[in-house]
Parts: sequence; structure tokens; C-alpha cells
Amino acid sequence: MKKYFFLSVLLAGLLMYMQVSEAEFSAVLKQEWAIDDRANGQKFEVLFEPEWNLSLSDNLDMTIIGRVRWDGMDKLGSLTDNTKNFSSINHALLSGSDGDVSIREWYVDTEAFGAFWRIGKQQVVWGQADGLKVLDVVNPQSFREFILGDFANSRIPLWMLNVELPIKEAGSLQLLWIPDSSYNELAQANTSYELSSSLLVPQLADGQILTAFNRRKPSSIFSDSDFGLRYSTFYSGWDLTFNYMYHYLDSPVLYQNVIEQGLIIDSEYERSHLIGASASNAFGDFTLRTEVGYSTDTFNLSTDLNQSGITKSADLSSVIGLDWQGLDDTLISIQWFYSHLFDYDNHVIRSQDNHILSFLYKQTFQNETWELEVLELHGLDKDDGSIQVSVNYMLTSNVKAWIGTDVFYGNKTGLFGQFKNTDRITVGFEWGL
Amino acid sequence: MKQQNESSLIRSMANFIVNNPKKLVFFSILMMLILFTALPQLYKDTRSDAFLAADNPALLYREKVKAQFGLSDPIVIAVINKSENGVFNPQSLQLVSQLTEQVSALKNINSDRVISLATENNITGSEDGMEVELFFEVPPLTQFQADNVWKKVSDFPLYMGNMVAKDKQATLIVAELVDENQVEETYQQILQLIAVIKKQKKTENQDEIHVAGEGAISGYLGSYIDADAQRLNPLAGIIITLIILFAFRRVSPGILSNVIIAASVLMTLSIMALNGVAFFVITNALPVILIGISVADSIHIYSHYFELHAKDPHADKKGLIVKTLVEMWRPITLTTLTTMAGFIGLYFAAYMPPFKYFGLYTAIGVAIAWLYSLVFLPAAMTIIKPSASKHMIALSKNKKLDAFSKIMVLLGGVTIKKSRWVIAAFVLVILTGLFAASHLRVNQDRIETFHHSEPLYQADKAINSHFNGTNNIDIVIETTKSEGLFNPDYLKKMQALQDYALTINNVNGATSIVDYIKQMNRVLNGGAKEAYALPQDRDLLAQYFLIYSASSDPTDFEEEIDYDYRIANMRLTLNKGSFVDINEVVEQLQTYIQNNFNNENIKASLSGRVTVNYHWIKDLGESHFVGMLISMLLVWTVSALLFRSMLAGLFAIIPVASSILFVYSAMVFLNIDLGIGTSMFASVAIGLGVDFSIHTIDRLQSLYKQHHGDMIAALQKLYPSTGRALFFNYIAIACGFGVLISSKVVPLNNFGTIVVISVTTSFFASMSLLPALINVFKPQFITGVARKKTHSSGRKTIFASVLMLLIVTSALLLNQKANAQDLPNALEVVEKINLIDDGDFVSRNLTMRLTDKRGKTRVRETMAYRKYYGDEKRTIIFYKKPSNIKGTSFLTFDYPDVNKDDDQWLYLPALRKVRRISASDRGDYFLGTDFTYEDIKLEGRLELKDYNFKTLKLDEVDSIETILIRATAKNDAIVKELGYGHTELWVDTKQWIIIKAIYWDPKGELLKTLHVSDIKTVDGIITRHKFNIDNHQTGHHTEFVFSNVDYKTAVKDSLFTKRAMKLGK
Repeated sequence: MKKYFFLSVLLAGLLMYMQVSEAEFSAVLKQEWAIDDRANGQKFEVLFEPEWNLSLSDNLDMTIIGRVRWDGMDKLGSLTDNTKNFSSINHALLSGSDGDVSIREWYVDTEAFGAFWRIGKQQVVWGQADGLKVLDVVNPQSFREFILGDFANSRIPLWMLNVELPIKEAGSLQLLWIPDSSYNELAQANTSYELSSSLLVPQLADGQILTAFNRRKPSSIFSDSDFGLRYSTFYSGWDLTFNYMYHYLDSPVLYQNVIEQGLIIDSEYERSHLIGASASNAFGDFTLRTEVGYSTDTFNLSTDLNQSGITKSADLSSVIGLDWQGLDDTLISIQWFYSHLFDYDNHVIRSQDNHILSFLYKQTFQNETWELEVLELHGLDKDDGSIQVSVNYMLTSNVKAWIGTDVFYGNKTGLFGQFKNTDRITVGFEWGL
Repeated sequence: MKQQNESSLIRSMANFIVNNPKKLVFFSILMMLILFTALPQLYKDTRSDAFLAADNPALLYREKVKAQFGLSDPIVIAVINKSENGVFNPQSLQLVSQLTEQVSALKNINSDRVISLATENNITGSEDGMEVELFFEVPPLTQFQADNVWKKVSDFPLYMGNMVAKDKQATLIVAELVDENQVEETYQQILQLIAVIKKQKKTENQDEIHVAGEGAISGYLGSYIDADAQRLNPLAGIIITLIILFAFRRVSPGILSNVIIAASVLMTLSIMALNGVAFFVITNALPVILIGISVADSIHIYSHYFELHAKDPHADKKGLIVKTLVEMWRPITLTTLTTMAGFIGLYFAAYMPPFKYFGLYTAIGVAIAWLYSLVFLPAAMTIIKPSASKHMIALSKNKKLDAFSKIMVLLGGVTIKKSRWVIAAFVLVILTGLFAASHLRVNQDRIETFHHSEPLYQADKAINSHFNGTNNIDIVIETTKSEGLFNPDYLKKMQALQDYALTINNVNGATSIVDYIKQMNRVLNGGAKEAYALPQDRDLLAQYFLIYSASSDPTDFEEEIDYDYRIANMRLTLNKGSFVDINEVVEQLQTYIQNNFNNENIKASLSGRVTVNYHWIKDLGESHFVGMLISMLLVWTVSALLFRSMLAGLFAIIPVASSILFVYSAMVFLNIDLGIGTSMFASVAIGLGVDFSIHTIDRLQSLYKQHHGDMIAALQKLYPSTGRALFFNYIAIACGFGVLISSKVVPLNNFGTIVVISVTTSFFASMSLLPALINVFKPQFITGVARKKTHSSGRKTIFASVLMLLIVTSALLLNQKANAQDLPNALEVVEKINLIDDGDFVSRNLTMRLTDKRGKTRVRETMAYRKYYGDEKRTIIFYKKPSNIKGTSFLTFDYPDVNKDDDQWLYLPALRKVRRISASDRGDYFLGTDFTYEDIKLEGRLELKDYNFKTLKLDEVDSIETILIRATAKNDAIVKELGYGHTELWVDTKQWIIIKAIYWDPKGELLKTLHVSDIKTVDGIITRHKFNIDNHQTGHHTEFVFSNVDYKTAVKDSLFTKRAMKLGK
């Protein structure tokens, strides 16, 4: 209660300050309705995202982005029941069974000591790939709608210190200190996008019951902090980055212990070092985007319960993407994601080498009034995938409407195939205030 | 001694030619080929407006009026049905409806500006006040319904005679064009469309469909003339080749003459193309004329050479060629100079650009023919080594004459014996001509350009017989204040002017806002006929327009009145377009307006097609006589200087003068008016005709010398040799022009006829009157030659001076650009544009307003920064509004090396990621606007590497003086890359900023129009604040408005970084 009081006073103070300082306000109201392939409503979600940009002084700017979410269907789960992945400083202000109110981002920007500082709750995106994560590990993500929600909304902002130090003309060194120990939000049990694939969730044997699920989460602000370092530069037309991150993996490792009565799962978060690089450049109508990352520790489900059902291994992942803009108003993009485990035995459920291909086709019509987007992700190992198609229409300068469909196909045990019965159609509009 | 020197100079030049024939032939052909590459740049301009200088006030005013009221020269389609119910039967009205719909659907037709029974509104009274509704929504199905339409239309006086014939038998569909430059294609599409309809409905009804109107005339004229030229030019070439073959019985003269023809004609056209001069309607006569003239020189050279060879068949041919050149270069040069003088006279005298250029470029063509005849021809002859025909050798051996020589000797005999009679006969001709000249009629009618058998001609006549007419005078009435036209007194004045106009002969109709007001007054007063009058209350008038706008489209009146009711247009229709019919109308109207209409608060000005035509034809007669006198004077001066005798100059022009006067008589007798085609005959006739006199005088001088002062002997000797050559010269020219007589373009046909008459007269006068005069008067310039040999050196000096003078004049004229005034070179203009300072850095707000064809608008507000780093330019745009795209930013590094692609990044806030994107193709559209990336990048500059630039003319845009430049993409690859085939740019001549541009796509279709406005100086830098661009193909419109432009506040380098993109500022 005290916390809410404190925040309320702070917000009220800020709002008063806005009246006298240079403040810009904007907001987006978004309404999306989804029905699944059995013609059942899946969501009827209203999102209101106000944004204030305040210039507190010549060298101090503040941004606050709030979010009010209300879902009339309540089929995707609510925050109230699913807050365990969030740190104590990253909770929603208010949450109920059908909605929540939260401060999505709140940070100040300043320039000091020859560096640019962004301090507060924010999102930092690393890497060049779209939708496939190799270096994009700074912020966790909400999988409430699996991968279907838009990234800005599904990425979970974290409280952090973000310092960017310019080096020479084109280079910069970014330092991240993230004391916020919030991790991926997984879909709740019995909701549409609850994970079921054996790649991600331990499977109970016939007759076996889950006797306990013990969750342990790092919580120390200092000792459980994540640290990141990125050097980026622009050289000979190449955008290059070299990244390092010492962090907790955002998904919990599910250790399994079989006891007589059944299965006990211990959910724990584990640390890893990530070393990687990205490079991109444009060649005529083509843009090449690549990233590669080496993680010292990844934890993969295995059938070897003597090892608690988990095999630890280093992993090398990479994405190579090629965009083509050779036709007017058209973008065609393909990506190849590849992941290799160095320590592998036959008990590991996933294959040693994992391949995912993505194909994106985006075209605008009539001076960008209409936009068609087709995105396919296809896993080669399980021969499964998803196809997302949407048509957007700009009704006016600030009103956009769309209709789309999300279809999953393939092997039920696959990453995408697990949702093959969860296809949906979405209709929505967005109003920018 | 000096004469010897000169002759030895010519001889050494001739020797050089015969010793280096291959090189000279090679260089001659190479020069031709190089110039020919410019030919594709030649463009046609068959508009009647082209006859006036681009800065002519009448033309400029008309353009302004056209823009103000959205008027263009329409294509008019008439449906005529001579049955009892006329066109008011279900089938005809269905046809009108169908035609309207199909014509409106054509790409280049402005569908909002198609007027027919199917589109126009009837204004009637209703309980609510006024009802504005279509005459019919769907075409009538029964005769009763059709009768009802007639009832409604006939009750609306405005449409009677304008859209519907008063006798019910005809109705019009008037279609205005989007782009008048594409009228030819549109006209053909309409004809095809009608052909299809006629095929479908051939047995159903008695409807006739005609297509006419100024739009159709312009549309058809181009292809009509093309077809004619394609037929005439080869025909002239073939005829002349046959004449040469016949004269010399050898193939090589035919071939070589054709090379000279090709050089003269095509090189002249290439030079026109290089100078940006258009191919006008009358330019069609140029090739034919040059064919005739250029072949004359070869005839004289060949004739002399064969004559020498026939005399001495075993002589060294090289030596013969040298001898021919030494003896012939002088008369050939003399005739070239005098011919050029004649055409240059036309250049100086004419006030219409097509005539000026005709005179100038024909003179240039003549000079080219001279050069090729004296260099290429002897060089080629040295290679071929032609021999005189056996026939000629035999004749020469036996000292016999051929049939042509015999004819000439006969003529000479008569002339020598009956010199005084010959003189008397020509005096009669001259006196008759002088009398006839005062009876010449100046007249011109564009429709008369077409042969009477042409469907377009017949359509025009049919339409003008049923309707008020297809010829328009626009009277623009301007008041000083907004809503000034709500003043009932002004409307009364307009009514009086309209009534007066209708009393003038040939004015059959008048339409203005007055008619609509009267109709509104009538329907709002119960429909009584007496209420068809102007209301007297200012407020009431304002209310009428308000009520109308509530009942229908308020833009219905945009052809009659401007949006703030300050300026109105009154359109008069005439059923005759010829000058004799319109000049009275225009002059009477001008007098009335001056005396009874204009005051300090309201003024009327005349405009419209008829007014413009009046302005360019009214001075035609004067121009003709002045031109003729200048040509005559020039020819006399040149001849006098060359022969070093003023009397010789006079003698040289007497045959020409008599031929011109004879032509006047013939014109009066044959009822040919002095019009566009015929007015330029005099200069042509002088330039060509004087050649005969020059050859005659020059030859007689030397013959007189050879015969030691025996005039009769000299004259007798003149006819078989020079006379024969001149005869073939005459035949070639007469046949060349004779071909024009078969032209279907009536003015060319008339022109051909009178030039043939004139040249024939000149030839005969030179071969009879001139020798007769010399024989009788024994002038000193002939007789003195034998005695004063030493004078020849002085003559040479003068000759050289004249030659230099003409060369210098030609060189100066050669550089004349597409306008009579000195227009700057296009590249200089482009350099000035590119030199405009745009600051080392700038920050500014940019509001983009995107409107689609349905009027739906999207607005984007951005903040944009630009900074130069040496030659590298960096720009960043931050989107501020609307919220959906707020935070989006777009960064570009634009490198000076054109081979290096730009680097571009896009930051999408939804992804929180700076995304590298490929350098956009230059022709891609910039972020959904109608500007391409290239347009944005260049910021009003022009890329020299992409285009060939050509200055077209001076023009005025929004009262700003501009130079119109055409930029044509250099090759297909650039066309493809930029998406523009060519562009026309209006450049402000004071600030060197492009203020208007029209873009055509790679297929040549009209693509976009750009207007730049609100140009102000900010921080000492000329800054364009507002850009409006219309995409004609998509109907989309983009407006860019720059504000808070700041060139002073430093722009930080850190703005052009990916971090700044994420920061959003």
C-alpha cells in the first residue's frame, strides 16, 4: 500500500511538473479482437499507452510510458496470477483478473562525463535479427501470446543503468548494469499458449504425477545483477557490434527429480556468459544482417533423469538474414537461424543442431496507406512452423485498422507445432492521440 | 596579278580536293553522321500557340485564364440525328450516355470536365427552394421520356445552341483534357472508341458521330502533317533524282546529289535539334525547299564538268574537276549568298517564331549544301571519275545542241530580237501585280489546314452548322474586391456586354454566370419566363449561390466564376474561325469594352483561342510585305556588292520582283488568301529566283569579255550552256516545290503552287527580261567589265568582305536558341540552380500532408536536420506526430561519390531497433509521399550526369519570370532508375530556383506536377517553404510545408547517430 502511495505522490508531482515544464504528451489506444479456429473469442484487448516526454532541463529529459490493459475475454491469463517472474521492483501498479495498469518505461536521459546516460526502466535491443534471438537477451519477454504479440509490447522493460560512451567518430561503447531480476513471462497453465512441447516442458510419464514445483528466483539487487558490454562501430559501410553479457538466462531451468510418488520439478534460473558480434551492410537492393553468439552455458531438457533431466552445454547460435528491397514498396526478407550444442548426448531432447528459417514479405500500397505482411517461421528439425499474415490500413493520419491471421502447423512436439490447434484471426485498430 | 593570285588560290584548293578525295569524303560523311545523332532530340510543336512568341501578352493572358478557370481546348463530339425527334430519342440519348461514360474513362480526359446531356444539371424550383438534378440519371427508355428530356433542356436557355442544337438534331459531348500535350493519342482513342460503337450499332439508328474542336484539331494536325511529310519528302527526292538522271544520263550525279540533299536537310534538322528549336507545322516545307536548292549547285557543277569532258573526252578528269571548280565556284557562291540573304530577310522580318526559324535554318541548310557541293562533290567525283554520256560527247563533237539547249536558244532568239517587246510584256505583268497586291486578302483558318475530304473538316462544318460554334472568345471580367460580382450593377454591365456581343456578326452564343443567376432567379420565382432576369439584391445573389451549393456540387461554376466571386469568365461562341470573320468581332468588342465597360472597379479583357488567333494573324500582311522588302533589300545589297554595281543589284532583283508581282495577280485570280503558308513565299521566291539572275549576269559578264564587247554574240552564247543548266536548275526546283502541290495540308499546297508560279516566272524573267534589259540598256556592269579588268581586284576584296559578313552573320544566327530573345544556355541555368546556397546545416520542421484521390488526408509532422561534412551530406528526420509513428527516425549518409550507395538506417520504435536498410533506389517513393528519394536528396538541385538539358522558352508562373527547361534522361537505364523519362522545369530567373516542374514517366505519360511556393529568405538563404506535388496517375497529392527553418543554430554531430535515432531527437 505504501508503495502505491509513494508512486501516486511521485506521479502527481510529475504531472504537476509537466504543467510547467516542456512536456510532450502522446498516447496510443489499441483495440484487438482475436478469435480462434473454433470460433471462440480469444481476446478482446484494449491497450492504452500514454507517453510523456519531459525536458526537465537542457541536459535532462524524462520519458514515461504507461500501459493500461484490459482484456474482456481473459483467456490468456492475467498478471495477478503470474507475477513470479517479475522482480519486486518491476510489478504492475495495479492488476486484476482482466487487466493491469503498469509503468512500462520510465527513464531519464542525460549527458555527463562524455557519455550518454539512460537510467531507469527501459528496453535495450541488441542484435540484428528479427524475431529470432541470439544477441537480443537484455530484456526478457512475455510469452503470454507466445511469439504473436508485437515485440514492443511483449518485451519486458527492466530497470537498468545504460551508459553509452562515444569512441572516436563512429564508435561507441555501451555498458549495462541491470539490477532488475525479472525474467520471461510464460503463458499460464490452461491458457491458449501454455507451453507443452517436450523441448521446453518436462513430460510426465503415464501415471506419473507432479508432486511439487519448487520455484527459486534470484532476487539480490547486486549479486544477481546482469552486466552487459557492447562496442559498436561503423566501418567501411558495415555496422558492427561486439557484445558481451553476463546474465541469468531468462527462462528457468526445470530440474526433475523422480520420487516414488511422482515428479518434483525445481525451477531455477542459471547464469551464462554470452560473447557475440553482429554485422550488417547494404549492397545495392540487398541488406545483409548477421549475428553470432556463443553462450557458455545453456540448459537443455533431457531424458536422463539421473542428471535431473537437464544437460548443460555451451551453445553457438547465429542468424544470417538477407533483405531485398528491389521492388517498389516491397521488402522481402529471409533469415536462417542456426544453433549448435557442443556437449550433446542422445538423452538431450532437442537435436544438436537446430535450424529455423524465416521468410518475411511486406508490401505497401497506395502511398503506404495499405500494408500487407506475411511472416513465416519454419523449424527444420521438427518440420513445424507458423504463418502470420496481416493487412493494415491507415484510415486517417492516426487511425490504423488491421485484420490478420496466425496459423501454426507441423509436429505437435515442435516449438511451433505445439500450438497447431491455436490458430486465430485478429481484427484491430489503433488510434494515436 | 591579284586575279591570278585568287585564281591560283582556288586552284590550289581544288587541287587539294582532288588529291585528297578519300579523306574529304570520309570527313564529310563523318561530320554528317556525328550531327545526325542529335536528330532524335528534335521535337514537334504543331500547336497554333507556337506561332506566337512564348512571352506574347495575348498568349500569356490566355494561359492565365485557362489556369484560372480550368479551361483547356476541348475535344468536341457531336451526335447528330436528322430524324423527326432529332437526338431526343431513346437510342440517341443512350448513345450520348454511353459515349460520355466511355470518353470520361479515357486516361487523358478530365472526367470532371466532360459536359454532355448525361452529365449536366437542370436547375428547377422546388418546395425547398432550388433543385439541381441531372437531365437524366439513366438514359430514357421510351420516346415519352426522351421528349421529357427535350422539354427540360429546351426550357434552359443556357444550353440551347451550346450543348443542344436548337432544331433538336444534334447534341455535344465536350471533353477537356488532362494534358494537352497528349491530345494526339487521346483523339485517336476517341476515334477508335467511336468506330467500335458504330460497328455495334450500325443498323439501329440514324445517328452520325463527329469529332472536332480545337483539341481534336491539335490532336490530328501532328499526325496529319507527319503523314504528309512522309509522303512528300521521298517523292521530291525521287523526282529530282529522275530529273538529274534524265539531264546527264549518268547514275553518279543522282547518287551524289542525294548525299548532298541528305547532308543539307538532315544536318539542318540536327542543328535545329541541338538548338532546341521545334519542328513546327511550316517546318515541313523546309526539307522540300532544301532538296530543291541543294540539288541546284550539283547540277551546275556536273553540267559544267560534263560540258568540259564532252569537249575533250581524253583530258585528265582530275584536271577537268579542278577546272570546273575554278570556273564554277564563283557563281555557286554568289547564288548561295543571295539565297541566304533572302531567307535571312525572312528571319529578320518575321515576328512569329516558326517563320523566323524557317528563314534562319533554311539559310543554314543552303550554306551546308554549298559547302558539300564545293568539297564533297568534287572529292567524290575524283573517286568515281564520271564521264559525259556518249550522247553529250557526240553533240559536242558535232557542235550540236540537245533538245533542251535548242529550246533555250529559241528563247534567246526571241529575247534578242524582240527585247523591247519582252520588256513591255513584263512591265504589264509588273503593273498588274502592283494592282493585285492592293487586293490581296489576309486570312487564315486553322480548320482550312485540312483537306475538305477529311472527316475532321466535315465534322467541324457539321458542328458549326448545328451549334453556336466551336470557336471561343473568353471575356474575363475582374472586379477589385472579393465577392465584387455580387454587385447587381456589375452583373447588369455583364448582361449588357453579353447582349452587345450577341449583336455582332458570327457571335452565336454567350455564356456567363449571368445566365445561371437568371435561371436560379427564375426557378426560385415559380419558373415564370419573365423571372429569367437578374435579381437586384446583393444578398439575394449570395444566397442563390449558397442554395445552389447546398443542392449540388459547388464546383459546377468553376468555369464561369472564381471561388471568391471576384473574377468571372464570359464565353462567346462563334461558328466561324477564319480571320476575316473574327477580326471584326474582336475589334468591336475591344471598342465596346474600352468605351462602355471598363472603369476603375471593373474591367474586362479578351482572351480565348479566337483572341489569340486574332493577335497572331492581324500582323501577317504587314509582316509579309516587310519581310519581302527586307529580303529584297538584302539580296540587292549583296548582289550590288558582289557585282560592285548598284545597278547590277537592281537588275538582279528585277526578275524576282516581277515574279512576286505576278504571283500576287495569280493569288487574286485563283482566290488564294495571304495566310500562314502563302505569306512566306516571297522570301523563298526571292532567295531562289535571284539565282537565275546572278548566273545570267555573271555569265554574261564573262561572255561579253570573251566576245570582246559583242553583246549579241555574248547573249547568243548564254542560252545553250548556262541557259540549259539554269533550265535544269529551274526544273529541279519547280518539281521539288511542285511536290507540295500534292500535299494534303492545304497551306503547304497553296505555298507549293505559288512558289512554282514564282520560280517559273523568275526563270523566264531571268532568261528573257534580264537579257532583254541588258541588251537594250547595255549597262556598265556588263560592258565596263571588258574595259576595266583591273577593277576585279577591288571586287574580290568586296566579295571576300561580303562572304565574311555572311559567314559571321550565319555563325551568330546559328547560335540562336529556341526563342528570339537571348536565352541562357540550359547548362548555365542548371549550374546556377546548383550553386544556390542551402547552408552548411539546417534544422526545420516539416509537415507532410498526404491526400489520396478521394480527398482523404494523412498528416505527418517531423523535425529534420541536415548537415554537410565536406561534400558528404547527412540528414535525419524524426517523426513527431501522429502518435502511431512517433519516434520513427530515418538517417541518411549521402556520399559525394555517385558510385557509392548512400547508407540509410531506419529506427522503428516498435522494434526499439535501428535497422540498416538498403540505399533506396533513386526512383523509389520517399516514405509514402509523391516525392522520390532522388527528389528529396537533391533538394531542388539537378544532377548533370542524368539529364540532357535544353532551354525551351521564357515563361511566367504565378507572375514570376521563369525559364522553361526540358531535362531528358540521358539513357534508358537512367529513365528506369529515376522513373522519369523527361521533366520540364520552370526556373525563377531572379533566384534560380525551380518553382514548377512537370514529370513524365518512362512511357511518356504525364506523371506529376510540382509547385513550389512561399519562397522566403531565411538567415540570408533563399528557402522554399511549400511544395505541392500532384501525381496525375494515382490522384495522390503531397504537400510539404517547412517551418521554423534555422540555418544559424549549430546542428550537433551527435544528431546523425544511431543513438540519436533511438532518442528521437
